[in-house]
Amino acid sequence: MLLEQIINGITLGSIYAIVALGFTLVFGVLGIINMAHGEIFMIGAFIGVLITSVLGLPLWIAFIAAIGVTVILGYMLERIALRPLRGKQGVSHLAPLISTIGVSILLENLSHHIFGAGNHPFRHSFAQIQFQVGSITIYLVQILIFVISITLMVVLSYWLSKTKAGKALRATAENLETASLLGVNTKRTITTTVIIASALGGIAGILVGMAFNSVNPQMGLSMGLKGLAIIILGGMGNVKGAMAGGLLLGLAETMIVAYGDSGYRDAVAFITIIFILLLRPQGIFGKNTAEAGR
Amino acid sequence: MLGDIINPYHLQIVSFILINIILGISIYITLSSGQLSLGNAGFMGIGAYTSALLTINFDLPIFLGIILGAVVAGVFGILIGIPALRLSGVYLAIATLGFGEVIRVIFVNWESITQGSIGLSGIPHLGRELFKTFKLTGFDPDMLGLKNNQFIYLLVVLILLLVNILLVWFFIRQNKSRVGRAFAAIKMDEKAAESMGINITYYKVLSFTQGAILAGFAGALYAHVMAYISPADFAYHRAIDILIFSIFGGSELIWGAIFGATFMTILPEALRFISDYRYMIYGVILIAMMAFRPQGIIDVPLLKWFKKSLKLKRGVSHGIGTKKYN
Amino acid sequence: MSNSFKKVYLLISVLMVVMLAACSEDDTNTTSAKSGGPVSAKIGVISYMTGPGAAYGEAITNGFNLALDEINEKGDVKIELVIEDSAGKQDQALTVAQKLMSSDDIVALLGPTLSTEMNVVGPEADINGIPIMGTSTTAAGIPQIGEYVFRNSIPESLAIPAALEKAVNKYGAKKVAILYGNDDLFTQSGFDTMKAEAEKMGLDIVTIETFQKGQSDYNAQLTKIKDLQPDLILASALYNEGAVIMDQARKMGIDLPFVGGNGFNSPQVIEIAGEASEGLIVATPWFGEKDDSKVQDFVKKYETEYGHKPDQFAAQAYDALYIMAEGLKNAGVADRDALRDALAEIKDLDGILGKFSFDEDGDVIMEPTVLIIKDGAFQLFE
Repeated sequence: MLLEQIINGITLGSIYAIVALGFTLVFGVLGIINMAHGEIFMIGAFIGVLITSVLGLPLWIAFIAAIGVTVILGYMLERIALRPLRGKQGVSHLAPLISTIGVSILLENLSHHIFGAGNHPFRHSFAQIQFQVGSITIYLVQILIFVISITLMVVLSYWLSKTKAGKALRATAENLETASLLGVNTKRTITTTVIIASALGGIAGILVGMAFNSVNPQMGLSMGLKGLAIIILGGMGNVKGAMAGGLLLGLAETMIVAYGDSGYRDAVAFITIIFILLLRPQGIFGKNTAEAGR
Repeated sequence: MLGDIINPYHLQIVSFILINIILGISIYITLSSGQLSLGNAGFMGIGAYTSALLTINFDLPIFLGIILGAVVAGVFGILIGIPALRLSGVYLAIATLGFGEVIRVIFVNWESITQGSIGLSGIPHLGRELFKTFKLTGFDPDMLGLKNNQFIYLLVVLILLLVNILLVWFFIRQNKSRVGRAFAAIKMDEKAAESMGINITYYKVLSFTQGAILAGFAGALYAHVMAYISPADFAYHRAIDILIFSIFGGSELIWGAIFGATFMTILPEALRFISDYRYMIYGVILIAMMAFRPQGIIDVPLLKWFKKSLKLKRGVSHGIGTKKYN
Repeated sequence: MSNSFKKVYLLISVLMVVMLAACSEDDTNTTSAKSGGPVSAKIGVISYMTGPGAAYGEAITNGFNLALDEINEKGDVKIELVIEDSAGKQDQALTVAQKLMSSDDIVALLGPTLSTEMNVVGPEADINGIPIMGTSTTAAGIPQIGEYVFRNSIPESLAIPAALEKAVNKYGAKKVAILYGNDDLFTQSGFDTMKAEAEKMGLDIVTIETFQKGQSDYNAQLTKIKDLQPDLILASALYNEGAVIMDQARKMGIDLPFVGGNGFNSPQVIEIAGEASEGLIVATPWFGEKDDSKVQDFVKKYETEYGHKPDQFAAQAYDALYIMAEGLKNAGVADRDALRDALAEIKDLDGILGKFSFDEDGDVIMEPTVLIIKDGAFQLFE
């Protein structure tokens, strides 16, 4: 059973990691926790359901559609909820957080209305492909999820460190004004960041739909809070940290269910948040920042 | 005659408004020192469960249960507030959110004490218990021309009103005192305040704990008005509701929290036809507020204008307006 | 001076006339009942009409409305429904209940939809002396709240033992695993019944696992269960989670039969889980395929009116209004206490769910039907 549980944990953890990557990008560049990220992920999943189960179109169209919709959502989030708050005098640093909370509530209830509250099945033949290794059944989807998350992390790391656009992003993250003085189009960089993060959410959404066959409007909240725990665990703004943190959380949750009391599964994420914030606020991989410590 | 005016339906709404005002003030107090606590739903739950368990299992009188509920919540406030000093802004908000969720999970899983998701029923009801005491003295609501339940709810409202007035008076005075000024200084610039000699640790923990005590107090009152509580009553959605009271109403002033709580409690009743979209409207309100009026509806200039317009009216009637100037 | 005096006089006389008219209206009401005309009454309905669980409230309200037309046509009683929305929240349910109860014309309450709401509204209704009947509240302890609290929804304590016994006998099961949602009053209450019944039957409970709403991944719990090799899985879940659980269980090679409680027995399970839902055993008062003319008439009427087949909630609501009508007829007068007494006396009333009686607590006496999902549909479980 241990091996099966480890596979479960890695699958879950990889999905958490992809969601966390989106979170950590936005935080790294904007210094904002996007509480609506979980909801964007959820809508990505619903688009997947819509395209494959309702319209019966092939899977790759679902991916494209989900990415498209979440990208639009991310852009709108940035324009409507975040940009008006930047550069305004006397606006507390909590305002963007509250604004994104507003977006998350809006999106959650919007999808209640559009899609209905229940679980929507994600039926696709791809999700049924499986292998037998001894007594263990592994689904192709599970392998795919793990591979995709590692790939995304590697691609993202490379892009951030080696390409011009990535460097521009890091510069903006370091200091908005200086970057703009040095000729970086900060407005476009910020928009790009939010868009990429949202696209990551959309991808994760479809993967979850395929892996667990369970898409409902409530899953955004739960995923959002877990994503929060992961970036705190791994270090906010740190790509490798998001990956490691995601896998760790996925494995920890699975192990608690397997060998402990499954009732406390959700508590793992939240207790992690509290402990890390108190003991090592910059996370496992993070660097010391002024706000986190004193 | 009295019986025709008093409608338990309206009284019920008023009692919810009064409890929500206390919750709104609990977030306002922590905001006034620059700390955003999203864990007040957790403190509310602690107050509610403590009071409910003590009154059900140990037959404690209700008012004692409520006070102990608030005290226990306050103790937790200190326990969380001190380590939370190392955090600020967004990090604090998330940590308190995490705390609130952990508390809820504990309520759900500690079945031997809290009955888990089944919840606690049969909690002694504030109005009914008081009514029993009245009955013992031979009093009958018929004397006032009231039915039993009208009288009971009237009692509840009167008690809550009294509590509210005391609390608001206390906090207005605190705002004008040294404590209030320390909070404001810390909110504006922590480092500057520290260098001026203000003991940040003390005041920040104080403000946080006051918020916890208030939330616990409101929670205990809630338990004794609903007579049934379950862990789901103190979840993330409750924390959002409380946040909106203060943010929408006006986060800089206590009147903002009062206005926000009142408005937000009446809104679902007044607009039953759109209650389907209620949370969507909340979301839009939060976004719009932050974009256009981050300080909330009621802010200092508005209050000043309000006071001035009152004074001006009085001034005219006293003949000031008849003076002529060249 | 005399002018305004005249105005005051006029005003007072108008008021007196209006008051007298109001009083006499009451007189005509009581005389009609005494003279043998239909008993006329208003019943308040508290329903979960907006919000995530609105599907339940909608089904229930539909059932009421369908029965209402038939009952009023029959002519023994004349009922008017005053419907209010509680959005599934206890405080709103309480407020709405106060609103309804404070109106003297309202002689009884139907609803609220959720057991959590009933826990708050029930005691209030009981103290105010108005009969209240739940049509969908199945958690333990509800009719015991007070003399005025009734329900016609088959509780878990009746449904689960029936299903479990049949399943154990059919499959010769000795070991069971229990899986339940521990963050919902309803599923937790169902679990308590499952555990108690399993222990009573002397079954070996290999493990007890929990899950929470909003959690998409049940693989960890299911892997653990699979490893322990039980003969049956008892799952106390609402159909949303239950369907997904069965789907993931089948995917990892768990082919065991599932035994579910009240929340699990919805045709939606088949829609969401498809083939994976084969082997689900539930007990329910409602079997839409039953070979009974009353049942089939109801199904046809409902489908014509609302566009889809009725579920258990609609059926229970339909029967509930008939129960109320019977009580009103027997009471003979639109009075809260008389109605309460009449309701308590109801025995063997024939409804679409079968024969119905109240026990001394106001709880349900009824034989549930045990069904199993086979070949893509609910069928009788022999």
